[in-house]
Amino acid sequence: MRKRTLQRGLTTFWWATIFFLYLPLVVVMLFSFNASNSAANFTGFSLRWYTRLLGNEQIISAFWNSLVLASVSSVVALAIGSLIGYGMYRHRHRKLGWLIVLIYLPIVLPDIVFGISEMAFFVSIHRYTGLFQPGLGTMIIAHVTFQIPFVALIVYSRLVGLDATLFEAAKDLYATPFKRAVHFLMPTLKPALISAFFLSFTLSIDDFVISFFTAGPESATLPIYIWGAIKKGVSPEINAIATLMIGAVAIAAVFSLMFNRQGRH
Amino acid sequence: MTNPMPAPEVEHSDPLDDTREKDESMPREASSIELKGLRKQFGKDTVALDGVDLTIDAGEFFTLLGPSGCGKTTLLRILAGLEEPDAGKLLIGGKDVTDIPPHRRSVNTVFQSYALFPHLSVRDNLAFGLRMRGESSAERERKVAQVADFIQLGSLVERRVDQLSGGQRQRIALARALVCEPNVLLLDEPLSALDAGLRGQLQVELQRIQKRLGMTFVFVTHDQDEAMVMSDRIAVLDSGIIQQVGTPSEVYEHPVNAFVARFMGHDNLFAIQRSADNWVDTELGRLQLDPAQQRSEQQGWLLIRPETLELGGEVPAGYNRLEGTVKERLYRGSRIEYRLEVNGVTLMAVASNVGQRLHAVGDRVTVSFCPEDLVRVAA
Amino acid sequence: MAEISIALRGRAVVSETRHLLFSVMPGAVWIIVFLVLPSVYLMAVAFMTNGPYGQPQMPLSLESFRQLAGFGFLGWSPGNLYTLLRSLWQTLLSTVLVVIVAYPIAYYITTCREKWRPIMLLAVVVPSWTNQVIRTFGWMNLLAPGTPLSDAAQALGLIAPNMGLYPSNFAVTLGLVYNFLPFMVLPLYAAFEKLDTAQVQAAQDLYAAPLRAFWHAVFPQTLPGLLAGTVLVAIPAFGMYVIPELLGGGKGMMLGNLVANQFAGSANWPLGAAGAILMLIATFAGLFAMRRIGKRLGGGEEVVI
Repeated sequence: MRKRTLQRGLTTFWWATIFFLYLPLVVVMLFSFNASNSAANFTGFSLRWYTRLLGNEQIISAFWNSLVLASVSSVVALAIGSLIGYGMYRHRHRKLGWLIVLIYLPIVLPDIVFGISEMAFFVSIHRYTGLFQPGLGTMIIAHVTFQIPFVALIVYSRLVGLDATLFEAAKDLYATPFKRAVHFLMPTLKPALISAFFLSFTLSIDDFVISFFTAGPESATLPIYIWGAIKKGVSPEINAIATLMIGAVAIAAVFSLMFNRQGRH
Repeated sequence: MTNPMPAPEVEHSDPLDDTREKDESMPREASSIELKGLRKQFGKDTVALDGVDLTIDAGEFFTLLGPSGCGKTTLLRILAGLEEPDAGKLLIGGKDVTDIPPHRRSVNTVFQSYALFPHLSVRDNLAFGLRMRGESSAERERKVAQVADFIQLGSLVERRVDQLSGGQRQRIALARALVCEPNVLLLDEPLSALDAGLRGQLQVELQRIQKRLGMTFVFVTHDQDEAMVMSDRIAVLDSGIIQQVGTPSEVYEHPVNAFVARFMGHDNLFAIQRSADNWVDTELGRLQLDPAQQRSEQQGWLLIRPETLELGGEVPAGYNRLEGTVKERLYRGSRIEYRLEVNGVTLMAVASNVGQRLHAVGDRVTVSFCPEDLVRVAA
Repeated sequence: MAEISIALRGRAVVSETRHLLFSVMPGAVWIIVFLVLPSVYLMAVAFMTNGPYGQPQMPLSLESFRQLAGFGFLGWSPGNLYTLLRSLWQTLLSTVLVVIVAYPIAYYITTCREKWRPIMLLAVVVPSWTNQVIRTFGWMNLLAPGTPLSDAAQALGLIAPNMGLYPSNFAVTLGLVYNFLPFMVLPLYAAFEKLDTAQVQAAQDLYAAPLRAFWHAVFPQTLPGLLAGTVLVAIPAFGMYVIPELLGGGKGMMLGNLVANQFAGSANWPLGAAGAILMLIATFAGLFAMRRIGKRLGGGEEVVI
C-alpha cells in the first residue's frame, strides 16, 4: 500500500519535472505565433513575426554564418577527430595518457575560459602578424577545437566495441592495408561518422559563449544575434528565430541518434 | 535440436557422406609447415614461445593442445602472420614466410569469435577473401555457391550475420576460410563457444571435411577429448615449450612426463620411490613392471590407467594384485567410476557397465592389473 | 638473413610510430596550438599589468590578483568578493537542488518498463539540446513582470508590486537548476540501473525500516553516479556566464560575468585572466577530487567524465 503511494508520488513528480523542463521552450514557441508583441498575454495566432524575419537582413546573414560555421567546422573536426579516434584505438596498448588529457581538455575547460583564451590569443597574434582576424575563420578554428574530442570519442568507442579479431580477419583474408580501410574500416565506421558529424553540427549551432568571444563584427551567428536582440530589449521576433532553431536542432539530433543506434546493431 | 542444419538440398555434397575418399570439386594444394626455433616474448617477462621446433606434414590434421597461456594461440597467430616471432623461422610449403604479412600468405584462419563482418551479408562475408584477392565476380559467385553448398548453408547466403545461430556462424566462418582454398587452414578453438551436443557433431564433421579436402589443418584447443577425437597428431604445449608430439594414442597411453599425463586426464600418478629391472616401489606398494619400461633414472612417476584395472574376480598369474576399499562410486551410464583407497592412497578405477557386479561404497575389493599396462613417466 | 629480418622488424616498429604520429598528430597539434597555448597565454596575462586600453603590458606584477581581491584606486571594495561568494553559493545551492530533483527522477525511470526508459531519458535530455541563450530567454519570458508566475509571487508578497521575478538571484538559481538537471539525471540513472537488487532485498530483510534499508544498501551504491553528476553540474555552474548575465542583473553577477566583462566593456585583461585562473583551479580541483574519491568508491572502476 505504501509502496503504491510512493510510486504515485513519483509519477506526479516526474510529470511536474517534465513540465518544468519543457515549459520555457513551449512558451517561446507559443509566443512566436502571438499576434501582439506582449510577452505576457497571448492575444491571437499570427505568423507576422516569421514574415518579419525574412525581411531582416541581419538575421539572414546570421543564419548563413551559423550554417557555414557549423558545416565547415564539422567537416574539419570529422577529418581530424576520426583520425585521432582511430589512432587512439590502434595504439591503445601504448601509454597515451597525454593524449587522453589533451582530448578531455576542451570538454572540461569552462566555456568562458575557453572563449576568452582564444580571443586573447587571436587578438594578440593579430596585432603583431595580421593573422587570425576575428571573424568566421577564428570561430571555425574555435569550434573545431571543441568538436574534435567528441568525434574522436565516438569513433574510438565504436572501434572498441568491435570484435578486435575482425581487423585480423580482414588481414587474414588477403586485404591490403588500403583495402582494409576501404572495405572494412570505412563501412564499419560509417554510422559512427555520420552520427559524429551531426553531433558536431548540433554542438556548433548550440554554442554561444565561445562563438561570442571569437566572433568578429561581421560574423554574428544566430545565437549571437539573439543575444544582442535580448540585450536591446525583448522582441517577439526572437521567439520566432528561437522556434526555428529548436526545430532545426531537434531534426539534427534525431538524425544523430538514428545513426548512432544503427551503428550499434 | 540434433541437427541445426537445413536438410541437404543437393545430395551429392553431403560432407557426412564418407563414401568417397577425396572431393575434387575444390582444387587445393596442401602445404607442410616447418617451425625452427620460434621464440616470442610479450613485454619484459612473459615468454609465450620458448624455442619451438615442429614439422607438420602436408594434409595432416594437427592439433596444438595445452592449457590457456601455454603459447598455443601465439603459435597459431605466428602461422597466420598476425604475430611476428622474435626469433626463429617459419616455412610453409618449404618457403620462408617469416616476414610475409598475413594478407600475402596462403593461410586462412577460423577465429574463435568467428569474426564475421557485421556490416556484410553472409554471401559478402564468404566472398570477402576472394574479392580482396581480386578474383572476378563470376569466379566469386561460382566459388561462394559451391562452398555454401558444401557446408549445406546455401539457403542462408542472403541473411545478415546477426540472424544466424552460433552453429551457423561457425560453419560460415569455416566456409569463408575454405573458399579461399588456402594451403593451410588454422582453427583457433572454433568449437569452444558451442554447446556440447553441437560441438560433438561438428568435431566429426570438421574431421571429415579435412579428410575429404586433404588440406593441412592446424587446430588449437585446450580440450584433450576434442584433440584426441579429431587429430592425426597432437602437440602438447606448456609454458611455451612443446612437451610431446604424437598420435592421440601415443600421447594418451604413453605421456612423456607428468604434465602431459595430467593434462590428458590421468589421475593415477604415483611417485616412484625406488625402481629396479622389473619392479617399482610407490605408495601403493611394490608393483611388477614390464622390463621394457626400464629407465636409466631412478625417480619419476608411475601411471596406472583406470580402465586397465580389474576389480574383484580371479587374478591371473603374473598380474599385480592390491587390496582396497571403495570410497566413492560414480555412475556414468556406460561406465562406472570407483574411487578406491589402497594402502591409504587414492586410486581411481573405471569399469565398463556390462553384466558386472556393482561394488558398493565400503566394500573391500581385489584390484588386479597387467604389468604391461603400467607406464613410467618422467618427472 | 637474420640481420635482414631484424632490420625488417625494426622498420615495423618505426612505421608503427609513424602511424601513431600521422593519425594522432593533426588533432593533438590543433588542440595544443588552439587551446593549450591560448590558455597558457591567458595565464601569463594574469601576471602582467593592465595598459591604458585594457591590453596587457609589462612589467610583471600581481596587481591583477590584488584587484580580484577588491583592491583598486579607491581603496578596498567588497564587490569582487561578493561576486566570488555569490558564485560559490549559487553553485552549491543549485547543485543541491539539482540532486534533490534528479535523485527521485533517476530512480523513477529505473522503476519503469524497460522499453520506456530510453525514451524517458531522452525526454529529460532533449531540452538541453536547444541553445542555452534560447532556453534562458524562455525563462525571461516566464518570469517577466505581468506573467502569471510574477503575478502569483506579487500576490504572495514575495516581490514588490509591478516587478518581475527576474532579474534576481532566485531567477539565476532557477536557471542553473533548469540547465544542469539532465547532467545529474544521466549518471544517477546509470548508477541506479547497476544497483544490485539482491543487496537491496537483503537490506530490506535486515532493516525493517525502509529508510534504513535505503541508507545502507541503496545510497552507497549510487554514490559514484552522484559524484560524477556533482562534477558535471558544479564545475560548469561555477563558471556560468549566460544565465547570470540574462537572469541576474547587476546584483546577480557571478565569476563568469566578472571575467567576461574584463574582456568586453571595461577592458582589463589581467584582471579577467586572474579570474579565469581561479576558475581553472576550481575545475581541476573538482576533477582531481572526483578521481580520488571515485577510485576509493568505485573499487578500481573509473568514473567516466
